[in-house]
Amino acid sequence: MDILTKNWDKIDPLRIDSYTRTGGYGALRKAIREMDPEKVVAEIKMSGLRGRGGAGFPTGEKWGMAAKTPAKEKYFICNLDESEPGVHKDRAIAEKNPHQIIEGILIGAAAVGAKKAFIYINGNYQKQKEILEIALEQAREKELVGKSVMGSAFKVEIVIFEGAGAYICGEETALLSSIEGKRGEPRLKPPYPPVAGLFGKPTIVNNAETLANIPFIIKQGAKTFSQIGSSASPGTKLFVLEGAVRNRGIHEAPLGITAQELIYNSLYGGGMASGKEFWFAQIGGASGRLAPAGKLDQSLSYGPGEFPLGCGSILVVDKSADIKDLLFSWADFFHRESCGKCLPCREGTYRLWEIAKRIKNNDVSKRDKENIEEILWTLSNTTFCPLGNFAAVAWKDAMRMFSDKIFN
Amino acid sequence: MRIKINNKSYDANPGDTILSVCKRNGIRLPTLCAHPDLLPSEGVCRMCLVETNQSNGLVSSCTQKISDGLEVKTETENVNRARKINLELLWADHAGKCASCKRNGRCELQDLAKKYDIDEFKFVPRKNELKSGDELDLLKNNWKHTVFEEKNSCISRDSQYCIECRRCIRICRDMQTVEAYGMNYRSSETNVGTPFEIPLDCIFCGQCSAVCPTAAITEKDDVTDFEKALADPKKMVIVQTAPSVRFTLGEEFGEAPGTFWEGKLVAALKKLGCDKVFDTVLGADLTILEEAHELIQRVKNKGPFPMFTSCCPSWILYAEKYWPEFIPNLSSCKSPQQMLAPLVKTYYAEREKINPDQIVSVSIMPCTSKKYEAQRKEINGSEYQDVDIVLTVRELARLLRKKKIDPRALKEKKFDPALGISTGAGILFAQSGGVMEAALRTAVEKITGERLGKVEFEMVRGESGARCAEIEVGGLKLRVAVVHEIRNAKNLLEEIKNGKSDYHFVEVMACPNGCIGGGGQPVPTGPAVRKARIAGVMARDKKMPLRKSHENPVLKKIYREFLGHPGSEKAEELLHTKYINRSKK
Repeated sequence: MDILTKNWDKIDPLRIDSYTRTGGYGALRKAIREMDPEKVVAEIKMSGLRGRGGAGFPTGEKWGMAAKTPAKEKYFICNLDESEPGVHKDRAIAEKNPHQIIEGILIGAAAVGAKKAFIYINGNYQKQKEILEIALEQAREKELVGKSVMGSAFKVEIVIFEGAGAYICGEETALLSSIEGKRGEPRLKPPYPPVAGLFGKPTIVNNAETLANIPFIIKQGAKTFSQIGSSASPGTKLFVLEGAVRNRGIHEAPLGITAQELIYNSLYGGGMASGKEFWFAQIGGASGRLAPAGKLDQSLSYGPGEFPLGCGSILVVDKSADIKDLLFSWADFFHRESCGKCLPCREGTYRLWEIAKRIKNNDVSKRDKENIEEILWTLSNTTFCPLGNFAAVAWKDAMRMFSDKIFN
Repeated sequence: MRIKINNKSYDANPGDTILSVCKRNGIRLPTLCAHPDLLPSEGVCRMCLVETNQSNGLVSSCTQKISDGLEVKTETENVNRARKINLELLWADHAGKCASCKRNGRCELQDLAKKYDIDEFKFVPRKNELKSGDELDLLKNNWKHTVFEEKNSCISRDSQYCIECRRCIRICRDMQTVEAYGMNYRSSETNVGTPFEIPLDCIFCGQCSAVCPTAAITEKDDVTDFEKALADPKKMVIVQTAPSVRFTLGEEFGEAPGTFWEGKLVAALKKLGCDKVFDTVLGADLTILEEAHELIQRVKNKGPFPMFTSCCPSWILYAEKYWPEFIPNLSSCKSPQQMLAPLVKTYYAEREKINPDQIVSVSIMPCTSKKYEAQRKEINGSEYQDVDIVLTVRELARLLRKKKIDPRALKEKKFDPALGISTGAGILFAQSGGVMEAALRTAVEKITGERLGKVEFEMVRGESGARCAEIEVGGLKLRVAVVHEIRNAKNLLEEIKNGKSDYHFVEVMACPNGCIGGGGQPVPTGPAVRKARIAGVMARDKKMPLRKSHENPVLKKIYREFLGHPGSEKAEELLHTKYINRSKK
């Protein structure tokens, strides 16, 4: 079942006609002409769609909160700041079918009553930014964006806002600060963005992939959508397979699928790359947990589970890899990307990185070993935002599973 | 609402945080980023974590609002583990050169480290690499991002001691609206600094140094110069002490805030070897006479109104930098420090036949900005630099401790009478509203020609950030306002500019509650501490035999023998100054 990738490589992302010919902007027309905003929110709620950025928050509920909050101004933001190492699904959507995102934004903005929308794009995505700019220009010409969308009373402007590539700015409140011209740092919650977000106004921040699902739901109905995937988290997901797998790259699969199937089914990963022997898989990006071969049969979906799906990336690690390199790469990434706001993350990621260097150089002391445990504990339990916790996830698994290889 | 903390039930108000309930009930929680002047807290230091029945895991008590049925545990295994590891991480991010540190014994991080037994070092301190500020060029090639600044005469910064609690950023932004500081760089290189690490460009109020938990931001240290002057037999060291200092110095030696320590202060200064100790309160009385005269002149000349007080150098600098259009509204009167000082080097020196060249004029101030004020070129009235050295209360206390002088053990002494007789009006300068009240006591009598029945002007007293009153004076309805903290001054200026307010006379103090909340006062500070200090000031005013500036007998004598009358040519030359447009626009 393809929802997101259906027309990839069939349509020309630089030409809006190519999108409309496949039924594009039909959902927007339906949402504006045949449905009222409450109906749209209800439909999304009913669909069971959950945020694809990683947290898996029900999208309809989020919209409902913002729609309910009375305010003169509201904002709608598409989060395209994708910066998890090895993840590039949002980039692909922007590149291959930009109007799908724009249509999602327009439906969302209409549903919650936002007159201004932003696409917050990772500063490294220059090509995709240009594609989106062209797409927006064409949508404006067709009066899909602007003072009167499809001749209706609904008006909306969409602005592309370029981030500077900080990982933390993918966190919704840090993203808001970044747009406001402040330092990209997470804010205290509550208030949650749907109540008081950008410039203190009700704001929706949705991941680009989440929004790309919206046209399908509106057009085909929540019921159709909710029958795809798992009952707790319906729909399909863009999985990014990386590492020692035969077919690397983006694969769309229904939620609830197991990692086993994703890696070995010829529809998706097609098994291990030749000559490689499976060791473990990291599920959900650099902040994801490590799954050994025996755990690959767990279904991947949003909601409670041993292996949080996160943004949907799977790094397949084979036995030729050196765990010390991986440890260093994780620690290096989170040390570099800590925003520096709270103490345990700022200092904890630094000390972990320091120790990772020593592990790599086989120069690790007894004190280091004790400290690792304390640092991982404080990162997991005391940081201001989830980034600190993320920094410890893979390390904790690695310490438990491979300590003999780490301290040999 | 009632909540449970450690199985005991407590009253709480909606809107309370866990920390505020704990503080009210004497339950100690370690805090570093939280400060009573900086509410709501931002929860960045993660020291005050607790466990509750309403969340999984730990929550920061300074940000967690209370709710019905809340049960808090402040001393669980996890809470203690979090405190200890986070404190160790923080300690290793700090220079930890306690023995040579200005804030040794008065450092919040040091206190916590002691309390939670950080004696075994888990991590190698990472800021020790820097040896001195001389090695750094701030603008270039400073990849370590360590900031060391002593480029101005008021505030010193040394980021080796910085623990990134952000109090300075918040007080400068939220209370003073100056926004001199911000965070620079990211991750472990995150550093408090100025934009592009330009030298500090602010109003030098020093509130950042008063809230800094460590020695990362401190008053610029002028103790050495003072010691040098004391040791020089050719020099005559003449000291003046600000009105508020006698109410706060005691805190440095364990006394309660507001304890009246005038005699101890004078005794301690004499013990240090100061030749003469004069009272800045006399300067304050002088300011009142000149300022009342100026106000009356403005009433006669119909403006320009409002007339703003000019005692607070940070306020003056703020006006010069951000609101130059109001420069004509600033009273031309110098501050009490700068009124007394030229008299020392002219009137007093002439009378006592001292070569002014030999005089080292020192002032003990609650204020970091006074250091800057003394350096203003246009401020000098005598042919010399009127004030040579300015020490804050903290510096004086540090020197006394270093010299092993404990004022508690000293017999109280009196100011030298030549320039040491003062009134209650001058004492009031110590706090917000005081200049106004002192000025009214004089101005009303001067305008009406009648004796005031009641000298208190309660309508200008209080702790609110902006107060106003209308006073009938001989047919004139005098509209006055009192503001403290720059945020309130800014609001008022905007109102005046937009024609929404219309006053004759406005008192502005940059620091919270005026000088008793000054940037150079003892730490810790906060609303409760300042309230106690104010109570001390008020009680002293009541006890003074003379409570109106124009009744000061020494002043009468000085006018008679030397100055002539308020606003005379001599007074203009010595006691009035001019202001400079320092706006960058």
